[in-house]
Amino acid sequence: MRYIVEGKVTSSDIETADRLSRRRARMIPVLAAIFLAGQAAYFSQDRAERLVDHVKIGAWLIWVLVLLVVLETGGGFIHSKKVRALINDEITRANRQRAYAIGFWTAMGVGIGTYVVAMFEPVTSREAIHLIVTAAIGGALLMFGLLERRAHRDG
Amino acid sequence: MADELRNRLRDLRGERGLTQAALAELVGVSRKTINTVENGVFVPSTLLALKLARALGVPVEEIFSLDQ
Repeated sequence: MRYIVEGKVTSSDIETADRLSRRRARMIPVLAAIFLAGQAAYFSQDRAERLVDHVKIGAWLIWVLVLLVVLETGGGFIHSKKVRALINDEITRANRQRAYAIGFWTAMGVGIGTYVVAMFEPVTSREAIHLIVTAAIGGALLMFGLLERRAHRDG
Repeated sequence: MADELRNRLRDLRGERGLTQAALAELVGVSRKTINTVENGVFVPSTLLALKLARALGVPVEEIFSLDQ
């Protein structure tokens, strides 16, 4: 996906993009923390396949999809193309790539850990996938948020 | 010996009396990008480096150089 700022960028665009980018940098780690903290509910109960369990799994899937969209696009859909291009410019794209790398390695770590645990305790495929995907997204979001906050810090 | 990038972006920007936001507006990037380039946190692409040089009216080598 290419982000090209077309047309002249105004000071208003710069200010709006700066404000949105700071807000995003503050919100994303919070979203990640809420997402990660909420996962305990999926593993704290027995594995009864009740309707409420299916609803929880559906809710988790929606959470995952929304967070992936936020991570990949940077949000700001109600704003102009110019502002969206500014909040997704070079530094943000570089931060996003680093976040994806952290997500990958987090997934590898949790995947391998789950594999080892499964040698001693039964782990269903759904539980394993849930753990790996949650860890990957949580790790990527936290790193992205931290990198974006660092980018706003004045040196 | 590893090469490091030296940059004079903050100095050159200051000499022209530009804020980070003003320079960002001239180049068409966010203020955050200008900030991270100035602080050495981010190495800009060739395209961005050339745009910065054009905005400041100097050759790109005057902004960025290798510190060997």
